[in-house]
Amino acid sequence: MTSEMIDPTVEASTAAPGPETTRVATRRLSKWTLYSRRYARNRGAVAGLIIFALLVLFAIIGPLIARYDHVELDFLALSTGPTAEHWFGTNNAGNDLFAQVAVGLQRSLMIAVSVSVGVTIVSALVGTAAAYFGGWTERITLLVIHFMMVIPSFLILAMISNKSGGDWRVIALIMIFVIGWYFPARVIWTLALSLREREYVSAARYMGVRGFRIVLRHLLPNIGSLLVINFTLGVVNAVVAETGLSFLGFGVKIPDVSLGALIGAGSSSLITSPWLFYFPAAALTLLTVSMALVADGLRDALDPTSAAGGRA
Amino acid sequence: MNVYPAQRCVGDPAHLCKRERIITLIKYLVRRALGWLLMIVVATNITYFLAWGFLDPRSNYVGRRPPLTEEQIVNTLAPRNLSDTVPLIERWWTWLTGILLRWDWGVSPTGGSVNEQVAYRMWVSAELVLGATILTTVLGIALGVYTASRQYKLADRIGQATSIITMNIPIVVAAFAIVLLAIGLNDATGVRIFYVTGNASRGVEGFFPVLIDVLQHLTLPTIALVVIGYAGIHFLQRSLLLDNIGADYVRTARAKGLTKQQAIRKHALRTSLIPVATQVAFTIPAIFTGAVLTETIFAWNGMGKYFIETITKNDIHGTVAVAAFGAVLTAIGAILADVAVVVLDPRVRVS
Repeated sequence: MTSEMIDPTVEASTAAPGPETTRVATRRLSKWTLYSRRYARNRGAVAGLIIFALLVLFAIIGPLIARYDHVELDFLALSTGPTAEHWFGTNNAGNDLFAQVAVGLQRSLMIAVSVSVGVTIVSALVGTAAAYFGGWTERITLLVIHFMMVIPSFLILAMISNKSGGDWRVIALIMIFVIGWYFPARVIWTLALSLREREYVSAARYMGVRGFRIVLRHLLPNIGSLLVINFTLGVVNAVVAETGLSFLGFGVKIPDVSLGALIGAGSSSLITSPWLFYFPAAALTLLTVSMALVADGLRDALDPTSAAGGRA
Repeated sequence: MNVYPAQRCVGDPAHLCKRERIITLIKYLVRRALGWLLMIVVATNITYFLAWGFLDPRSNYVGRRPPLTEEQIVNTLAPRNLSDTVPLIERWWTWLTGILLRWDWGVSPTGGSVNEQVAYRMWVSAELVLGATILTTVLGIALGVYTASRQYKLADRIGQATSIITMNIPIVVAAFAIVLLAIGLNDATGVRIFYVTGNASRGVEGFFPVLIDVLQHLTLPTIALVVIGYAGIHFLQRSLLLDNIGADYVRTARAKGLTKQQAIRKHALRTSLIPVATQVAFTIPAIFTGAVLTETIFAWNGMGKYFIETITKNDIHGTVAVAAFGAVLTAIGAILADVAVVVLDPRVRVS
């Protein structure tokens, strides 16, 4: 992909004078200007980005401005609704829900982002390497991938995660290697199959570039935009999977909180104290929907053939 | 191998070709099914060893008052093939031969038969998963076709916006939101329209009372599964149909005098249904995972709930049975996808 692109719609001031009055432009747009312009056309995507930024801000600043710590118990306010003292209310043990939601959001975000980074790296390496090296490497990789598809991976995940004692770092690692990597790896493998036949790959090979270097320098950069989109969607998937796990009690454990665990705790008193469900559920839904909108906008912005965003 | 065995079919009456095609198709499906069976067997055995690595039936007895002696624990677990005093490979062999010779999937640490549990719960889950799958597919395809034929118009924009939101609502949130709405509705009308827990009431008899009772229980969890599931199919169907509407053969159909709707229905839709069918078949296991959460929330005693119970109670044989059930669902989905592709696509040559 070229780093500079010509925008034909911008009229040139530096163009040489000629017989025509209007001229085709020569001013160059950097690719980042182009991408951001295309992204900004999609109003939903911009809204998604803003919501996501606000959520990240809330997760970072929330615990600092909260009046209570998320494990602190206020025995004078048990199961109260939102008040000036407790902005999001309290649960029946006297935990401040505002602090819990902020910390839980932070934890869910940390798990989701690290899982998605891990999944993107592993799946990209496995997928492209399998496609490039072919032969036995490819056959064995595909066999493993198909196997992972047959094994009910959520069950394995729940089993291992339950044993891990609720440490979020262990859970994130398990999520990468048990449920995350194989599906994106297969998609990337399919795409890389056509890339390995390209002239520049052959050229690199005849120049004596080593196999793994070709994968890193020639194949991976060409699926870059796909990886960016996969990463954003991976965050959504990881948040949803983590929520499911923690909701069932197989994920992070007390005193650590995540949004899933909070919803699980709040669901037992859905009628009597519904705010325990509303706030974590709202944070969670905003997080997943905003990330999905961002992914949608990125797909249109990064895809050179997409017409959804109009002309650049 | 070829679904149209060309050499023998040429000049034959059409029905003969069709019969040969069906026979080749069946042979092909049998071969695929055998391949999947092998995968299921290996996957189930791997899960057996994994389960022993992460679940420990002995820990069920920790903290008992009065505490059980080592001997008592072993005496309880050993007849159930769950005692770790027996070498793992021997336990595995007993378990495997039990299944192969007597179709006996073992017992839980408390002595309950896994077969009985699965045989009952399977149908509870099937009620939920089957209905949800069918509704999800029909709704997704209908919306996809409707919005694709009105690309970038208001209906399409609204459909897109709604679907991107519903697709990304976590099922836990969706299910509880539906519970809250239903409770609100029940309170507002003063009549118990929907039940938010359980899969059937006790003591209901007669065809129509049972049917109404089932619907009262089934509606909410089905809505929860459909709301989060339909959007994936909607998007896929829409984009595939849009690719096909511009194709030459659809233009030919229009040129021959079909209306746009007829051309879409008879020509574009059929081609674009093929990948959708594949996707639907492969989402059956995903719907099952979704059902794990839905069944927990709505207190259905199905396979999903069983899955959680077996893990928390260190029920190794039960866990493996759930894994095998999931693997079978995946295989059924994959084979259905194959059948759908062959049925829908006249060009496919199975090989």
